[in-house]
Amino acid sequence: MNWRHIQLIYHREMRDQLRDRRTLFTIAVLPLLLYPLIGLLMMQVAQFNREYSVRIRVVGHENWPQAHPLLDPQRKLSLPASATEPARLIEFSTEPWPVDGEDLEGLRRTSSSAVQLDFVDAVLIVKPEFQAHMQRRLASASIKVEAGNAPEVATDLAEGDGVAEQATAPKFIDDGLELVVNLARDHSQLAQSRLQRVLDSWQQSWISKELVLAGISPQLVEPLALSQTDVSPVSVRRAMLWSKVLPFVMLVWALTGAFYPAIDLCAGEKERGTLETLLSSPARRNEIVWGKLFTVATFSISSALLNLFSMHATAGLIVKQLALAGSSQAADALGPLPIHALGWLVLLLLPMAAFFSALALAVAALARSTKEGQYYLMPLLLVTLPLVSLPMIPSLSLNLGTSLVPVSGAVFLVRSLIEGRYAEALMHLPVVVMVTIACCLLSIRWAIRQFESESVMFRESDRWNLQSWLHHLWRDRGMTASPAEAILCGLIILVAMFFAQFMAGSSIADWNAVVRMTVAVQIGLILMPCLLMAIFLTRSLRHALRIHHVQPSHLAAAICLGVTLHPTYTALGNAIRYVYSLGDQIQAALAHFSQLIYAQPLWAVLLLLAVMPAICEELTFRGFIFGGLVKQGGALRAILITSLFFGFTHTILQQSIAATIMGLMLGLIAWRTGGVVCCIAVHVINNVLSIGLAWLPANHCELPPSLSWCLRVENDTWLYQPQWHTISVGIALVMIAILFNRSPETQRVVQVEAL
Amino acid sequence: MVEVEQLTKSYPDLMTGKFVALDHVSFAVQPGQIFGLLGPNGAGKTTALRILSTVLQPTSGLARVNGFDVTTHPYEVRHSIGFVSSNTAIYDRMTAWEMVEYFGRLYGIASERLTDRMEKIFADLQMNEIRDVAGARMSTGMRQKVSIARAIVHDPPVLIFDEASLGLDVMVARALVDIISGLRASGKCIIFSTHIMREVERLCDRVAILYRGRILASGSLADLTERYEETDFEELFFKLLRTSDRAHQAAIAGSDAVMAMAAPTLEAGSNR
Repeated sequence: MNWRHIQLIYHREMRDQLRDRRTLFTIAVLPLLLYPLIGLLMMQVAQFNREYSVRIRVVGHENWPQAHPLLDPQRKLSLPASATEPARLIEFSTEPWPVDGEDLEGLRRTSSSAVQLDFVDAVLIVKPEFQAHMQRRLASASIKVEAGNAPEVATDLAEGDGVAEQATAPKFIDDGLELVVNLARDHSQLAQSRLQRVLDSWQQSWISKELVLAGISPQLVEPLALSQTDVSPVSVRRAMLWSKVLPFVMLVWALTGAFYPAIDLCAGEKERGTLETLLSSPARRNEIVWGKLFTVATFSISSALLNLFSMHATAGLIVKQLALAGSSQAADALGPLPIHALGWLVLLLLPMAAFFSALALAVAALARSTKEGQYYLMPLLLVTLPLVSLPMIPSLSLNLGTSLVPVSGAVFLVRSLIEGRYAEALMHLPVVVMVTIACCLLSIRWAIRQFESESVMFRESDRWNLQSWLHHLWRDRGMTASPAEAILCGLIILVAMFFAQFMAGSSIADWNAVVRMTVAVQIGLILMPCLLMAIFLTRSLRHALRIHHVQPSHLAAAICLGVTLHPTYTALGNAIRYVYSLGDQIQAALAHFSQLIYAQPLWAVLLLLAVMPAICEELTFRGFIFGGLVKQGGALRAILITSLFFGFTHTILQQSIAATIMGLMLGLIAWRTGGVVCCIAVHVINNVLSIGLAWLPANHCELPPSLSWCLRVENDTWLYQPQWHTISVGIALVMIAILFNRSPETQRVVQVEAL
Repeated sequence: MVEVEQLTKSYPDLMTGKFVALDHVSFAVQPGQIFGLLGPNGAGKTTALRILSTVLQPTSGLARVNGFDVTTHPYEVRHSIGFVSSNTAIYDRMTAWEMVEYFGRLYGIASERLTDRMEKIFADLQMNEIRDVAGARMSTGMRQKVSIARAIVHDPPVLIFDEASLGLDVMVARALVDIISGLRASGKCIIFSTHIMREVERLCDRVAILYRGRILASGSLADLTERYEETDFEELFFKLLRTSDRAHQAAIAGSDAVMAMAAPTLEAGSNR
């Protein structure tokens, strides 16, 4: 790779983009204007919202206890000054209005019409029995006070209106108050919440007064005073909210900032014809991609940083305004972000910008024109936005699972760093770094491949119609599936399994149900789509499923590998369960499932749960799907994607992780041996050992003394001896070396397949 | 200098399964020669030239430029060629000087030598007045001049002009013909694709008539007019195309007839 070429291309592209007014406006001017304008708008709206006085009509105020009225003759709240704060923005009216009939129903109808027609925001109907209800409450409390149950009285009275009841207290479901509101309108909702606070204040004041009359101190019903010591530094408290919001804003802008230059540098250049000139210059394809990638990443980073700082500065000014207005809580939560937090955010931005830029370049390379390129933004956003927004879900935090998710893991990590949880961050750092680097490398590789692909660079306009396409599918069938057909097969299986989960129901009653479910899943949902696609979309079922002749030495090595890999697989499963303990519900379901299968003959269990799944899954994943994806030199793509599909088909998370890792190994074997037979052997042996080593002790079988060198009995289960763990790894490595050594015949098969 | 042997290029096609853009095409061009690749739109001219400029890979066959194979030594081939296309391929937001300088640097020309070379090219092509004009503000003629300057900045032995006169006005087209003649005089090996007969007659030492991906005839103009007993080259061109069309139709009809004849036999075979 010639760095001088990359540098030249980078400088040219940068200069080109900086001369483009549209790009400059989107990247630099928009962020500087956007947030102050949004801030201004929000403050105006907030002001408008604060100033709105809700209109509440109180009908039947004369029914209110006269000793303790709600409103005075001037229709102001008749409460102590401290309790009237909630009512500052309520306009009460008590004038009688023409009632449609004499009864309560008539009153309700009139009130409903008034609220619906927006004459008032809410109507409070005070029924004639309200006073009596209040007296009954009082009487009920007095009885308990006499019985020496004072605290319960206090609780009961304080709750009021029958909202939250104590089991032993009498229930006051209807106190004779009724509120008519239109909850579809914001002002009506506001009236409801403000009135609720007013009624609470009135009730508190009423209780205090009655307690005084009964000779009890009103302090009894005052809420417990909880003195609080917050150990979090102010900077961390401030960082809490920002650490959730800023990464999202920053990454969305990093993606947007990458996309538009990428479109111009790929589709725009295609449109202008300059890309062909560049491709025929001495710059190699990867140099062109790197030069463009650095440009796109520069704009992505600049855009994200400008938005970050502009948003932060605007928020800072608003917070100052809030602090001046006396809202110290909001000012504390939104105060200026500490400088170290900004540093972590910038650190997050660098790899993310690289990842997004490479993705944007690869996607933009597909477009023939800038107009077509614009259409690709939405799918790209749909894929990446969930990853960016996942960390905003409150219950999720950094753990092994989340650290494995691209983008989200890095955001979680940075959030932990901002919030000062360094130990947690450090523990997951290697995984996040590995996932992030892998994503960056894969996306860059994809971008380079796009530039190396003639069909992408010189794509002609499609003359697509359904009939021709169906005809083409049949006429141009290959010996194996195409990459698109392989991916479609995987997606069909995943979607089918998703719906099947809902249709199958939660519990498996008996062995027959186990048989039905396993056959339906393995044959109906996994093997059938693959078989149908292989029959209709390829010319040779044997080639499509990659059933090739296998060398006896390879088969023997595969069987041996299955045996020697199992201790490592078991250890892996244990490690995963240690990190992600199985939930109680899943454990109970698995225990029930185990009891069902332990009661069956071993041969039946092995046939159903070890042999059949191994054959179905291998023919599908390492056969049909792998065969399609491995085309055009896509071995790495085939290994990765098949292992992910394989992992996702296992519905329990812990199984999925183990299966994905196992899938990588099986994918490697599938690639090196050029077929599926060795994979089936390894998979069958692995399943047989997993089930056998659980079934035998559960059926009280004695461990043969001849196996004591590799197995031991502990708590009625058979476990591998530690020394066998070590030895088996060594033997497995030798077996892998044997399997990876291709014969000339295998070499030929693999070469033909990779074309 | 340029050798093309049995060059074939096919693409997957939704309608026909496979579209053969170039079908066993062979020709050779020597230094100081202008080779005209003549054919209607869709004949395969651009595909052939794209393979020579290494942006497309041949399906089969061999193409060598300045002794380097386009498939195995694309980097060396790209150093040996200058490619000028019909759409001029000029960056809108770069001036003429910046554009030529950029490509000169990509070709690894040292700064001082590059400046001297560019001054000479700008003077020769009479481009000094557009030196600081951005691509977006240039006329098609100016853009084509910049494109030529960009293609010859590294002084390549082989120059490829793919319908370079398309869309140019008479004056500019005439100037282009003069520039290409000048380049031939300096010993360049030039491949010139066009469908304008006048340019072929004025410029080309040898031509190949390409149609449906195949070379129908090739040789010097004198050879061709003599071989096909047609003094008007344009007439000769259309005559060859018509003959090819008739042969093509006959081939289709023939294959249909063969199918029709084979059908009863096949049916009988299957009944048996």
